[in-house]
Amino acid sequence: MKLLIGQILPYITVTLFTLGILYRLGRWAGARIIHNITLSPWLQTNGQVAVRIGSEAFLFRNLFRFDLALWAGAFLMHFALLNVLGGHIVGFGFLGEQFALIPGLGISPELSKEMSNLLGTTFGILLFLCLLYLLIRRLTLTKVKQVTKPSDNLWLIYLLVLVGVGDIMRLFEQSFGVEYQLVRDYIVALALFKPVVGMELLNNGFFLVHFLLVQILLIVFPFSKLMHLFGMFAERWIVNRVYKDPAPGLPNVDVAAARAAGIGLPSDAAEEGV
Amino acid sequence: MPEYKGMVQPVRATLEEMRKIHIEPVPDELKPEKAIEYLDQIRKKFRSFVMAMESCTKCGQCAENCHTYLGTRDPNNIPTNRAELIRKIYKRYFTLEGRWFGKLVGAEDISLDVIEQWYSYFYQCSQCRRCAHVCPFGIDTCEVTFIGRQLLHWLGITPKLHASVGAAMERVGNHTNLPKPGIVDTLEFMSEEIMDEFGVEVEFPVDKPDSDIMYIPSSADFLLNPYTLMGAGMFFTYIGANWTIPSTVTEAGNFGLLFDQYWTQRGNVMRLLNAAQELGIKKIVWGECGHGWRAAKMYIPSLADRPVRWPIVHIHDEIANMIRNKELKLDPSKNSKPVTLHDPCNYVRACGLNENMRTIIRAVTTDFREMTPHGMDNFCCGGGSAILFDDPEMYQRRILLSQKKAEQVRATGVGKNGDGILCAPCSICKAQLYPMVEEHELGVEVKGLVDLVGKALVWK
Ligand code: HEM
Ligand code: SF4
Ligand code: SF4
Ligand code: SF4
Repeated sequence: MKLLIGQILPYITVTLFTLGILYRLGRWAGARIIHNITLSPWLQTNGQVAVRIGSEAFLFRNLFRFDLALWAGAFLMHFALLNVLGGHIVGFGFLGEQFALIPGLGISPELSKEMSNLLGTTFGILLFLCLLYLLIRRLTLTKVKQVTKPSDNLWLIYLLVLVGVGDIMRLFEQSFGVEYQLVRDYIVALALFKPVVGMELLNNGFFLVHFLLVQILLIVFPFSKLMHLFGMFAERWIVNRVYKDPAPGLPNVDVAAARAAGIGLPSDAAEEGV
Repeated sequence: MPEYKGMVQPVRATLEEMRKIHIEPVPDELKPEKAIEYLDQIRKKFRSFVMAMESCTKCGQCAENCHTYLGTRDPNNIPTNRAELIRKIYKRYFTLEGRWFGKLVGAEDISLDVIEQWYSYFYQCSQCRRCAHVCPFGIDTCEVTFIGRQLLHWLGITPKLHASVGAAMERVGNHTNLPKPGIVDTLEFMSEEIMDEFGVEVEFPVDKPDSDIMYIPSSADFLLNPYTLMGAGMFFTYIGANWTIPSTVTEAGNFGLLFDQYWTQRGNVMRLLNAAQELGIKKIVWGECGHGWRAAKMYIPSLADRPVRWPIVHIHDEIANMIRNKELKLDPSKNSKPVTLHDPCNYVRACGLNENMRTIIRAVTTDFREMTPHGMDNFCCGGGSAILFDDPEMYQRRILLSQKKAEQVRATGVGKNGDGILCAPCSICKAQLYPMVEEHELGVEVKGLVDLVGKALVWK
């Protein structure tokens, strides 16, 4: 069992995740942008397009403009998620000493570890709370209830469990935590196709569950609504692009001359005399 | 009665009417199977459709931003749920997710009932694109209803209104079945009216060879909105233009966009290009019609069967440009009643006319008041995409669909004394709002924008 989850499944996961995403992107690319359906007012330069798409993708501009309560939950959730994911990479990569590596700040490795811990815990808890908020929103607001399918709720519950288990490992580090060094060596070995070290990690039930849930998530990801990560950009690329109006100006029209000639005015004084 | 299992539906075109627009309806028992076949063909072409099918997160933001949901509170009128009517089928037949997880992700088998749902709810969508405008991803439910209506059309299900308009367009070149003699007569009559009311001589040249400008009016302007066409005639005369109206295309609209983008819409485009070539013109100027302007500006480039040699502009673009260049002498006091502007959705979200309409209205009126929200954030009049059905059930729907607009107009206060003006420079908006301002007792008169320009021109 541990052999399966710890040594075989990771390879299957990565393969399916990669191929799955390529499959979905290929599917989208196969259909074309037939008509120009860009939304007006038009963006005039590619710089403006980049700013618009960037502000939608990283600041959730439209949610901010039209539904602040949703924006708060969604933005904080994704922001925390981004930091948690980044934290996993950097934290394990540098064993929590990453901040000490920034030159000129004079941060000691110990301080860096503490900072890393604090940030990780904060974002972990924030992520959990935001997911909870989004779930409650789904279960209570009429309009959201009306658009929700079972899978929408299940995704939030799934992530809550995944994140919850991760948070427990952090909050009760003494009892349930894992040693960073071990994790790093384990991942490095996997990545280099070397004989795996650190399998004792998987004796920790919390780690085992966390790791398994992550892998299942990655396998299902390309076939699920989570693909909005890429869909976001694909869709925006259709509706937000540069468009330039044809130049105004009518052929052979000279308004001043027309007015001087009195075009349209009844031609004779006779009429005025009537 | 046009109702199916509790869903309102527009009256359908008959077999003969469908044949007139070149469709042989599919028998009921084959409809589900054929629907899947057609859907499979079309989904592989349009990325806008694929993305709408595959990247919604069901955040619900579009719900209260669609006037149809606001007016009816029918969950199927929430944009993402409207799209879901087809997405559930798409998922079931064309995605792994739907095949594996079925109901869990909302996938469903095709059936006649589903097709009837499509007919009801795709024809309550006014294709106003407010959902695309507010969606965090830009998902455009209008693209979904375009394709849904196309599928229905191929199956032989099309509203009587749309089918008869499509047939009229093919027969005489406009939606109202007005033949050339009728056109010429009406225009002569308008010349007289202008003389009586404004004291100026305006001619409406029809099919005049070697004209510089070809003006495409909305056919509704001949009968229902005469002041819009009179305003355009006065404008072209005022600036001394060498212009003409082609008798073969007296229609700014193109219903093909709304129910059949393959045959009907394309046919109308060819007709227009033929007219332009025959008359030897240099520039095409479009009249007041929201969906028609979108069809012309944004779809002719991708639908034309030959290089398009004529720039196509909207009359508002040209008027606004001349106002900015101070070429027109205008007297705003000729329009001194309180005015508010209803932004036709197609103008502001699909054609970029936002600023130009305002440049004009500020120059020709004295008491202009903006609605909230306005411009690109506006709400539809509720009649968009020509869901102007007059049968008793659908008429009740129209009242509900225009509720949001009514609230907006009321909030501006322009109709408080019963003498306000609601400027709605789109033929469909006008056709929807003429009765709706009465139903909602708004105390306003509906007018086009060129109408107001015509009134404000100072000739001497
Ligand atoms: C650039 C990347 C991304 C963007 C722009 C983005 C954007 C959005 C937006 C606008 C929503 C709708 C608001 C909401 O319902 O909360 C949403 C929902 C969601 N996103 Fe993302 N997302 C991104 C990446 C991700 C990733 C990598 C995940 C991975 C797990 C994810 C998970 C979710 C979930 C679970 C929801 C649904 C929340 C709910 O049900 O209310 N997102 N995303
Ligand atoms: S706003 Fe967009 S993502 Fe949200 S439910 Fe509507 S269509 Fe889906
Ligand atoms: S296009 Fe307009 S009417 Fe149709 S679903 Fe979107 S917001 Fe509603
Ligand atoms: S009818 Fe007018 S308001 Fe309504 S969709 Fe067309 S342009 Fe929009």
